[in-house]
Amino acid sequence: MALVEDPYALLEKWLKAREFIVVGKGIERADAFDKAIGKARFVEDYFDKGVLFVKQVLSEEPHAILEGIDYSEALKIPKVVGVFTAQDIPGENQVGYALPDQPLLAEGKVRFHAEPIALVAAEDIDAAFEAVERVKVKYKPLPVILDPLEAMNRTDVLVHEENGSNIAFRTKVRKGNVEEGFAKSDVIVENEYRTHHQDHLYLETEGALAIPDFEGRITVITAAQYPHLAQSIVARVLGIPMSKVKIVIPYLGGGFGGKDDEGPLVAAKAALVAYKTGKPAFLMYTREESLRIHPKREATIIHYKSGATKDGKLMAIEVKIIHDTGAYTNRGPFILWRASVHASGPYYVPHAKVDGYCVYTNKFPQGSFRGFGNPSVQFAAEAQMDELAKKLGMDPVDFRLKNLLRPGQTTITNQLLDHSVGIAEAVEKLAKKMGWWEKRKAFTEYNKRSKRYKRGIGIGVAWHGISTSRGVPDWSNAYIKIDKDGSVTVYTGIMEMGQGSPNSSHRQIVAEVLGAPLDVIKIVFGTTDAPDTGATHASRGTSIGAIGVLVAAAKIRERLNKLAAELLNARPDDIVIANGKVYVRGNESKSMTWQELIKQAYARGVDVSATGYFFLPKGKFDDAKGQGYAYPAYSYVAVAVEVEVDTYTGRVRVLKAYPALAAGRIINPVQVEGQMEGAIAQGLGYVLMEQFVFDEKGRVLNADMTDYVVPTALDVPVVEKPVYVEDLFKYGPFGAKGVGEMALIPVPAAISNAVSHALGIRVTRLPLTPENVYFMIKKK
Amino acid sequence: MAEKLIPITLKVNGKEYKVEVKPNETLLFVLRNKLNIKSVKGTCYRGECGVCTVLLNGKPVKSCLVLAAEADGAEIITLEGLAPFGTLAPIQKAFIEHGAFQCGFCTPGFILTAHWLLTNKPDATEEEIKEVLSGLICRCTGYKQIIEAIKAAAKYYKQDKQKQ
Repeated sequence: MALVEDPYALLEKWLKAREFIVVGKGIERADAFDKAIGKARFVEDYFDKGVLFVKQVLSEEPHAILEGIDYSEALKIPKVVGVFTAQDIPGENQVGYALPDQPLLAEGKVRFHAEPIALVAAEDIDAAFEAVERVKVKYKPLPVILDPLEAMNRTDVLVHEENGSNIAFRTKVRKGNVEEGFAKSDVIVENEYRTHHQDHLYLETEGALAIPDFEGRITVITAAQYPHLAQSIVARVLGIPMSKVKIVIPYLGGGFGGKDDEGPLVAAKAALVAYKTGKPAFLMYTREESLRIHPKREATIIHYKSGATKDGKLMAIEVKIIHDTGAYTNRGPFILWRASVHASGPYYVPHAKVDGYCVYTNKFPQGSFRGFGNPSVQFAAEAQMDELAKKLGMDPVDFRLKNLLRPGQTTITNQLLDHSVGIAEAVEKLAKKMGWWEKRKAFTEYNKRSKRYKRGIGIGVAWHGISTSRGVPDWSNAYIKIDKDGSVTVYTGIMEMGQGSPNSSHRQIVAEVLGAPLDVIKIVFGTTDAPDTGATHASRGTSIGAIGVLVAAAKIRERLNKLAAELLNARPDDIVIANGKVYVRGNESKSMTWQELIKQAYARGVDVSATGYFFLPKGKFDDAKGQGYAYPAYSYVAVAVEVEVDTYTGRVRVLKAYPALAAGRIINPVQVEGQMEGAIAQGLGYVLMEQFVFDEKGRVLNADMTDYVVPTALDVPVVEKPVYVEDLFKYGPFGAKGVGEMALIPVPAAISNAVSHALGIRVTRLPLTPENVYFMIKKK
Repeated sequence: MAEKLIPITLKVNGKEYKVEVKPNETLLFVLRNKLNIKSVKGTCYRGECGVCTVLLNGKPVKSCLVLAAEADGAEIITLEGLAPFGTLAPIQKAFIEHGAFQCGFCTPGFILTAHWLLTNKPDATEEEIKEVLSGLICRCTGYKQIIEAIKAAAKYYKQDKQKQ
């Protein structure tokens, strides 16, 4: 009988599993012990004596011609080894991810305050700091443009002259006929929404240590989210083949998308110094540099018009989305695409027209951040849903239930959703469990009696496509080998930034499929010595990343089943391997240990190594109309919150949060809860506390942790256990979809809808800081 | 003019170190870069985040705000010192069991602070726990699993206190 090695057949076989050894259980993470005893090593922990210390020279101007860089005085400082500018880059200086518009080090012109211009390397930290002060940059200032609406309409001031416009990129979605849709609508709501930047504020800032000539290649220990991307950027900057670059991503002190953007760049900067000097070089951003330099969550202006019939059916949406992409597009076009195709929220809408604009200004770039363009557009979409419900005299949840996507319906890109659409069930279960309808009435009554404090309850429902947008190629892979003693090593490019996919779900999936004991399974993560697995972003660490792990393990399992069948004189289908015990189903006396089986594999010529390549099948997408296959699947989420507003001070407190998730199989509920709770806290910070303050030149005035404020233990609400609907995705590992970003996405919508309920005023602008809420109340 | 170095003695995790420090060097810098104790992290360098927390003469301090020269003669415990022989303190076990960390960067500060709180006040209420933790930032967990871990560990500290 031929062995099954086809990934589709293997995925389908394991998708059908109904009983589990470790999947679905809150198994402890493999990194838990290291982290509990202080042994977990992060990038900066590898810095040691004899390593060059690198500091960046940052632009003091937000928009200026670079007329000259004089570093002769810096070189006079003893222990300063060198100063490096764009001129010194042996390969390409161009590092833009979506468009070729971004230099690693400024060349000819600077486009935002604190843009990196040069690198100073010294044998001593103090010398490096002093040298930076002595580098003299001559600027010819240009007019500064900060407002994206102004930037869109001006061509006399251009952030990128070569583009001829400050509009960097456009998107379009055209489904049905919106004029017809609005004509058939009985109620129409139209509003403009604004959202602001957010910093990731991972506690570990960006850093890299580059070591030349280790294993005959340059090795970079770096804080990135995609080793193979960092590898390709380093290779491009140095002008050497990728095979000469090794990337190692150790434990990361948080990522949230930010290190997917900045990680490869910090790696390339350290690598440049190491390459030019022949010495190990270390660069770590200070908190201030991190806040000023790395790309942030998009700031947006969203104009949204929607219509519904009197019986509560959504008919049409017309949306204009403007993203302030700052000085460079970075991943802006991808972020705008994601916002555009998700603009409806998870609802069936027959007629849709969406126009997106990615606009240059002289601010720090826009970048990847948990939710990737989606929290802002879901905030607008969900405010519209509440306003439509209000006009129709319907309850917000009842109105949503009439319109939530169900299997067999199409999205606004006209993609047919044939399976794995559990959101309507999730929202209904959540509303019942939390007593939505009773609470909504009780709060309305409470507010009639209470003068100072007002209470509100609001819901945000959201969706998030899994994998890259618009049919862009995406794949998974992993390499597994089993050593003679039965211990298993898994090599993956997926990295560990706290989300846990390699250390929890990957390990559990391998233990489930191979049947090996958990404690013999070691995951080597975040390395270019693994096959290219894609990035650890877009909630794909488990949902896509672990497909390769499952396929590789399943291939080996088929071979082991055949071998065990021969040894135990049974049929391969009757072989059970669980927790390290190998036996025949129904006859457990016919058995052997895992270790014996592996010893036999080595003795009898059975290959116990495999790769698990899987190329995600995707359909066609027409960019001109924004129609077609946008994502292989969507994860769905809802969060409802209870808030209390002090109308005298404008302070909003979130008292309770109720999450629901339809993200396929839950591989590890403890880890999923951690993701949900963390995402809710980060979303709460975004809505209530976090904001950047700019001066008239676009300089950030609060680039420190005293003035950029994030939630503490006193600020977070009680988060109830999530409601799960396991709407299995046929290509996901055991049917899993993405989780990491999910619970943040509906939080701006949920909190602002709750505040609107409390105050009877529509929130259209974030953040809801006490002063903003105070003036919102006063204006009423 | 060469900077004057100050000779100091630190007892860290039970071991005595003699080290010369610059007047402006912080305890954080000296622990990490001169004594090679890497669990102690730094990130805001202005006392806002608490990742650099250590126990100094039994009390949690933010080591980025303490000059090393001023800590002369002090006894310091870092996370490495809580389980010197591999036997985990109850708070470490509870953090593992409750998934109380994700990235782990803030964990040393949280575990040391919680260990100090429970050693001194094993019956701390949830509000008191939150109050003590409010000087520390965790960007990953949303704090729930951390607070649950501390509450779960409390009973072991209560038993210890009764034995004393």
